[in-house]
Order: sequence, then C-alpha cells, then structure tokens
Amino acid sequence: MRMSDLIARVMAQRRVLAWFGVAALAAACFGILITRIELDSDVINMLPKGFESVEGLKIYDRDFEQTRELTFALRCQPQDVDKLEEFAPTFAENLRKQSWCERVLAGSPMETPDGIRDLQSIAVPLLLNLEPAAFEQTMAILQPERIQERLHRLHQEIEAGSPRPEFELGFDPLGIIAPALKPFAEANAIEQEQPLTSPDRTMHVFLVVTNQPSLSAFECQRLMRQVNAFRARAGDGWEGRPLEVLVTGRSAYVAEISLSMRYDIVATLGSSVLLVGIIFFIGFRRWLPLLGMGFSLLLSCLVALAAGLLVFGRLSMLAVGFCAILVGLGVDFAILIFGRYQQARIDGEEYQPAIATSVARLGRAVFFGALTTAVGFLALILSGSMGFSQLGVLIAIGIFFAGLFMCTILFLFVRPGQAPQRHDWVFEIVKKYVRWSVQRPAPIIIVAGGILLLLSVIGFSPVPPLRFEASVRSLEPKNSRAAEALQAIMAKMPTRWEPVLAIVHARDAQELHDDWQRITAHWTELQQTGKIKGFSTPAALCLSPVWVEKNRERLRTVNLPAVRQTLEEALRVEGFSTDSFASAFRLLDDLRTVVDPKAPQPDWRKHLPKGAGWWFLVDRYFAKNPLLTTGFATTNEPVANHAQSKELSRELPVPGVPMILSGWSYTLADLQPWSQRQLLIISALMALFDVGLLAILYRDFRLWLIQIVTLAFGIGAMIATMKLLNLHLNLLNVLSFRLVLAIGVDYGIYVVLVWQKTRELEHDVAGVIKPVILAGLTAVSGFGSLGWARNPSLSGLGIACAIGIFWSLLATIFFALPAMAAAKPKVWSGQ
Amino acid sequence: MFAISKLSPLLLSLVLLTPIVRAQSLSEAEVKNLLVRIAERRASSPDVRADFQEQKTMHLLNKPIVSSGKIWFHAPNKFRREITGNSPSVTVSNGRDLWIYYPNFKSAEHYSLGKRSPVDAAIAAINTALNLENVENTFQISGAKIDNAYDLQLLPRSASMKRMFQKFDLRLNNDLVAERTEMTQPNGDHIVTTYSNQTRAAIPALTFEFTPAGGTEVTNPLGR
Repeated sequence: MRMSDLIARVMAQRRVLAWFGVAALAAACFGILITRIELDSDVINMLPKGFESVEGLKIYDRDFEQTRELTFALRCQPQDVDKLEEFAPTFAENLRKQSWCERVLAGSPMETPDGIRDLQSIAVPLLLNLEPAAFEQTMAILQPERIQERLHRLHQEIEAGSPRPEFELGFDPLGIIAPALKPFAEANAIEQEQPLTSPDRTMHVFLVVTNQPSLSAFECQRLMRQVNAFRARAGDGWEGRPLEVLVTGRSAYVAEISLSMRYDIVATLGSSVLLVGIIFFIGFRRWLPLLGMGFSLLLSCLVALAAGLLVFGRLSMLAVGFCAILVGLGVDFAILIFGRYQQARIDGEEYQPAIATSVARLGRAVFFGALTTAVGFLALILSGSMGFSQLGVLIAIGIFFAGLFMCTILFLFVRPGQAPQRHDWVFEIVKKYVRWSVQRPAPIIIVAGGILLLLSVIGFSPVPPLRFEASVRSLEPKNSRAAEALQAIMAKMPTRWEPVLAIVHARDAQELHDDWQRITAHWTELQQTGKIKGFSTPAALCLSPVWVEKNRERLRTVNLPAVRQTLEEALRVEGFSTDSFASAFRLLDDLRTVVDPKAPQPDWRKHLPKGAGWWFLVDRYFAKNPLLTTGFATTNEPVANHAQSKELSRELPVPGVPMILSGWSYTLADLQPWSQRQLLIISALMALFDVGLLAILYRDFRLWLIQIVTLAFGIGAMIATMKLLNLHLNLLNVLSFRLVLAIGVDYGIYVVLVWQKTRELEHDVAGVIKPVILAGLTAVSGFGSLGWARNPSLSGLGIACAIGIFWSLLATIFFALPAMAAAKPKVWSGQ
Repeated sequence: MFAISKLSPLLLSLVLLTPIVRAQSLSEAEVKNLLVRIAERRASSPDVRADFQEQKTMHLLNKPIVSSGKIWFHAPNKFRREITGNSPSVTVSNGRDLWIYYPNFKSAEHYSLGKRSPVDAAIAAINTALNLENVENTFQISGAKIDNAYDLQLLPRSASMKRMFQKFDLRLNNDLVAERTEMTQPNGDHIVTTYSNQTRAAIPALTFEFTPAGGTEVTNPLGR
C-alpha cells in the first residue's frame, strides 16, 4: 500500500485512533514544557561562540559587580536646578533606605568628608605598594626639617589668603598620602572626569548597587517591580515643576526584555495567525480546515519546543521567535495540500481518494520543500551563536513536523461529507493569468524580467551601499524605558564613548600586580604617541607582596616616634591646632603597626569601609575573584569598524600578559567579519546545496537555470528594496538571506515539479500557482508580523524576510512561470 | 569665672536690648526695595574700590589671622585683592579664572571658576558682599536699618550655598557699599572683613587681568 493511501485510510477510517495519537503527543509535549521550561533572556548568548571578545563580555557580565548596578537619574526643568540640588541628598537617602539597595553613589567621593576619610583609610597599603624608589622619596618627606619646612610654608600661604593649604592639610596633613595615592589618581583620571551632575545642572545621576541574588529574568522582574514602586513615590517632597525619575541598567533591561518576550510571542503569533487565517479564508472559504491548519501548526510548534528543551535544556529568547516563523512557513504546506485536496473534490473524487491524491501529488514537493527549508535553518548552527543555533534547530524540527501534520492531522478537520467549493474566483483569476503567461510569455518576461533585473543591478551594485549597523543600539528593545533613560542620560552628560575592556586573570597577587604594571607602562606609551586617548587600570590597587615587604623593611628604619615628636613641635611653632591634625597622628600609628614583622601585609579591602563610594570605582576593576580584573582603554574615537578593533587587538596587548579585549562596541566591531562571513560564505554554501539539489530534482538544465536566475532576482530585489527603504543590515538580520533562499527554492520546486509532470495545465499548474500565491502571502504576513516584536533582532529579521519572500514570490509567478512556458512550451487544454 | 547668671537682670536687659533700640527691622517689601536700589546703584556705578581689614578664624589654626589690603571690584564678578604685610599676595579674578600670586615665593596658583570647586566658595563670598546680584534667589534675607546703614542677614537657601556658608551677615553704608561682612562656614571657620575708604570711581579693565611674570612657578592645585 502506498504511503498516501495509508494516510488517507487512517484519516478516513481511523479518526478516533488518530485523535488519541494527537492527544497523547500533545500531552507528552506539554509535560516536557511544564517540567523543563527555562528561558535565557541574555542578549550576549545571541552572539557567536569562539570569539575572545564575546567570551570577555560574558566574563564581565557574569563575574563583575557592575552587572548589579542600576543608574537612577533625576531630571528637572532648568528653572528648578537649585531645588534639584537640594532634593538630591533626600533622594539619595531614600534610595539607601530601600531593602534592595546595597550602596549608593550620589556624588564624587572626593567632594565629601566621608569620601576623603575613606580614601585616607587605604593610604597605608597603597603607600607600601609604591615602587621602592618612589617609596624612598616619600619617606624623605618625614624627615624633621622637611616636616617643619612644609608646615611653615603652608602657614604662610594661609596668611597670604590661599585656599590651597586648607584643602591640602584637610586631605593630607602629613604630606605622604598624596604620593601614596598618586598612582591611583593617575590610573583613574578618566573615571574622575565623569561627573554625576549634568553641566546644565538639570540632571543628577545616582549609581546604585542592588542586592539581587541573581540576574535571572524573574529576579530582575521582581527587583524592577520594587524599583518602580519606589520610583512612583520618589518625588515625595519635591516642590518644583514635574520631576522625571529615570532608571537604567542591566536589571532594568533584562526585566523589560523578558517581559517583552511575552508580548512578542502573543503579538507576533496572534497577528501572524490572524493574517494567515484571513488569507486562507479568502483562498478557500473554509473555517474548519483553517482551524485544523492552526491546530497542526501549534502542535508542530509544541513538538519543536519540547524537542528543543530536551536537546538544549534552556532556550534563548531569540528562539521563541521560531513560532511565528514556523507559522509563516508551515502554512505553505497546509495551503498546498488542502488546495490540491479541494481540487480533487471539485474533480469529483470522494473524501478518502481525494486525500490520497493530494498527498500523492504534493507529498514529494512538501518533503523537498521541508528539506530545503530545514537545511536552510539548520545552517544557522554554523553561525556559532547559541540563540541562532537553537532557532535553526527548532524551526528544522518544527518544519518537518508541520509537513507531516499537514499531510495527516489537517484532514481530521476536513469533514468527509462537506460539498466541494463551487465557485472559486481566486482560482479563476489565477487560471486566467496562467493561461496568459503560457500562451504569450514574452511580454511578461520582458516586463517582469526588466524590473527584476534593474532591481538586482541596484541590489548587487556597490552604490548605493547597503549599510551595516554594528552599534549596540541596534540590539536594544523598542520603546524600552531603560533604553530611553540611558539615551537621556547620555544626552545630558559629557560625551564619552564606551572604552575597550582588557580583562586580565592572574594566578596570584604578584603576577596580577606585575601584569598591570607592564600594561600601564605600555598603555602610557600608547597614550603619549596618540594611539589611545586615555586609560584607567587597577594597577595601583593590585598589591605587590614583594614591594610591600621591601617597603616595610625600609619603613622599619624610619624613627616614627621622632616623626611624631617633630610634627607636634612644628604644629606648636606654626600655631596649628593639634586637633585638626588628628588624622596625621592616626596615620603615624598605623605605620607603626604595619612595621611589626608579625603583622600581616596590609590589604586595602579590609580598610575601605563597606559603604564607601570608592567601591563603585573598585568594582569596575575587580571581579568577585580579586585576581580577575579589568582595565579600560578609551580610544580616540568610538570603535565602529573591524579595522579599529583589529588595530586595538594589535596595539593594546602586552607580550607575555594574557589579556582578553572586549566591550560591546569592540565586540560588535570584532564580529563584523563574522556577520559578513555569515552573509557570504554560509549563504553561498547553502546556495550550493540548493543548486545541487535542484539539479538532481529537475535533471533539466534550462529549468534549473530559470530557477537559479529567479532566486538571484529575488535576492537582488530584496537587497535593492532594503537599500531604497534605508533598512540597514545588522548582526542578526543578515541571516534572513538564507531563509529567503530556502523559501524561494520551495516555491520553485512546487511550480517546476508540477510543470515537468503535468499534462493538464489548467488543473495542475493553476492548481499549484494559487496555493503558492496564498502560501507566499501568508509567509509574508507571518514574517511581516514579526515586525511587531519589540525585540529588534526578531523584528529586523521578520521585515527583511518578508521583503525577500515577497520578491521571491513575484519572481516565481511573473518570471519563472512564463520563462518555463517559453523554454518548455506546453499546450493549454483549451487550445 | 564670670557667670552670666550673676549679672543684674536690669543690666542684662540693657546690654541685650541696646542694639534693638537703635536698629529698625526691615519688612520683606523694604528688603526687596533695598535690593532694587542696590541693583540700580550697581548698574549706574559697577566699580567699587576699598581698603579692607580681615580677621579669619580657622579650625586649622589656634589664633585668628589678621590681614589688610585693598580691593577692586567690577560688577558682576571681576575683582582684584591685594594683601599687604609679611605674607603679601595678589588675587585676581576675571570671572572665569582666579589667580593668586605670592611675591614671597614667586609662585602663582591658577583656578578655573564655575566648576563647583571649593575655591568657588571664597569667590562667592566676595561677590555676594560686593555685588548682591540675584542674592534673593540663593539666600533668605532679613535686615534692619541702623542709622544710615543697613544690616542684612543672609541665610543660604540652596544646597550649594549651604555647603559654602552657614551664615552671612552684611552691613551696607549709606552709599549701599559693603562696610562689614561676617561669614561663618560649615566647618566652623569665621571671617570678618571690614571695608573702608570705599569709592565708586571707574577702574581700568587691566586691573582684573593677570599674567604671571617670567620665572613665576605656576600651579593648578585643583588640577582643572
């Protein structure tokens, strides 16, 4: 018994059994879904593996504290700047009281007495960490005559009216804190240039470290619910014109993206099903098969999702977009199969034979269509991106099941006794067109070929260029409050582009210190030669056990009690208040403590108070593991292309120091060749597969050539449209080319295989062209509905695919069909 | 030790009430009116020069520092201040930059103004005393008329001013020029400046410019 007959028999005679099978499959899939579902909303996981820059981003994202940082901004009207200044401390205090808040930075720590005191508290470890020659010079400051001379001069300057001695004595009464902190200040010059108040004073920024236990989507949503509740009452006590409270940061983004995933699924799937349903109904005037098609598609989505969870364990946010794509693709099969079934019924066949005819005639085309589409999507595995690999595998699984279900389950929704459609105006129009294009193909070929050729010339020519967007913004969700807040803050604050991250992981403290000393020396040279604009590193905070020990040895030779006595005497002589110099005496006590050979080497982490604002700076450099660190190199201009990232990868590293260069801008620039390779090499490989498959299938050079030209026209017109509509390529929508190629090949297969075998053009060619048109329109609707997605990667991919499929459909109908008629003429039954 | 409780109540009342008897409090409208008159006077004669004597009590020092010299001011924000004596200095501001030159050390300090650095506090004090422009926006002002002079008490309104001043008292003479200022800073420092020989004669613009002479060691203490 043929497969088509078996299917027809089961669907016609074993319907209850078939329903049980469907129910069992659905139940199993639901079971897997409920017990195993875990979604990954991390945008980094959409980037390919095997790139150091991507790995660096993941390390920075996973191991560094800054990922738990939220940035709040208060924005007021220009008339209320003084009120904002007054309100800012209240707001900061309210922030500190929140249960989710661990630390708040409301201003430069250097501008507050606490900040200065905190910095003084780490002076001893940093002093001992000075390069021994610098330490020797600093110790010279403690010589009695130098202490007397310094205090005398400062006194004279005070008398002369200088404000400087007051700052100097307030911060460094003994004169050795400034030299101790000099390397720290030099290494952080860039960080200190970043104020927390905008130049026009209408915006005040607050950095907050939260205590959320993880960065999972649900945890971020929970945190942001609390944050938004705080935001709603954050303006209490404000008396000016409306005050905006903006919030951005990793958690804000993750919460929004994960919530937008829900919206994306509902909006894209809903609109996709609606549009597809409308087109199906226009084509066939039947509701029940439409329901069957929807059911079969949902079941194939469910099976693919369950299989995906079993294979991958955790699914990327991007992969959830497969549902809409699957609906767009799978509906093709339904339309083709049901269209042929209906035609068989119109021809007078009964229910079971009509099913058998439909499956027999188009089952092969559906199989090869599914195969090319599946291979096209499976090629996404080569992208190296986990998100895209999952997308490819889910669609490949889904499309096979969709093909299978459309040839089987779909017929459970077709009533055996229902009379066939009597008048089909869509079919009549299609038939007229097919007749015209078969009888007089030349004018259609000239017009359609001319337009498609012109568009292809525009598409494949270098002018105008198809722009490639490699900015982080191209990946941000649409209408995102977090993104809007970030943009508002960036617009108000002094311009500074994202630096390049250099991640260094050492085996021990000495190695870490030595590595950063060498990097700092090298980057200083780069800065002096103008190759980079600036840099900041943790060099000063990486303690060298060797230097500390050597400096302790030297410190033991300093007579600290004598220094104390000299200081007391000099203060008395100059008339300084001893109370104001309490911190100097404390420092001398601390120095006496550390010279004790039994005392452990001092560690600034133990001295810096937990609530100190300086932790915001420290956390930028050090991961939870203190041997994992990062430095920042600011380039002369934003990193936007691969040549820049290549040059930086040549210049920034230091021989012998393992370093990972990263950062969003750097990574995206680094990935540009990958994207282009995606576009060129992988698409070319897939095209070769398609070309080979078509050659085997058709075994006819002229038909094969027509199909190849049709595909080229489709892709060329797609690129031209993107150029003319100013749609840019990005790292994600470059993948649309292979999808368009796969679907374009399907249309060709449906039409060419029927053309080759048919003897009744009216029945078979017009009978397949109508479903192809309907299938094409539904695919365009399915992909176009992705344009509603808030996720820009999904919407960009959907729009590009919709454009490409539109042109592939037009090229198949208006170029391939008349071209076949011209190349392999066949006689219309009416002639 | 002499305890205040041992004073005769009558004597105490006389001591405390004496200034009140002579001073006549100004209403809010009168304060506003006074500020308008000051603004008009400043518009017609933007230049002021005077001799000054200053007593500065600092938390850093056990004894107050007394200095004297001359000051030149051009509304709204240019000034020159020369301190004479053992520790002479010349302070010049053109509104954007502040220079302090120390002849004894042949050195000069350069500060950029308007960057919310601590040095802006010192400048604000001088400008507030000699200018009083828009002072009602940043201070809550009360005052009294004493003979032909005015005593104004300025309490900072904005957070930025509160960081600079705790209290600012100002006495204006009948020509509406500062006669005495008394400033208390949040860190407890207290500065009393007395002005004399005030005139409103025009001042050459070059007075408010400063170019360090050759050989002068120039520093930027705030690094900006």
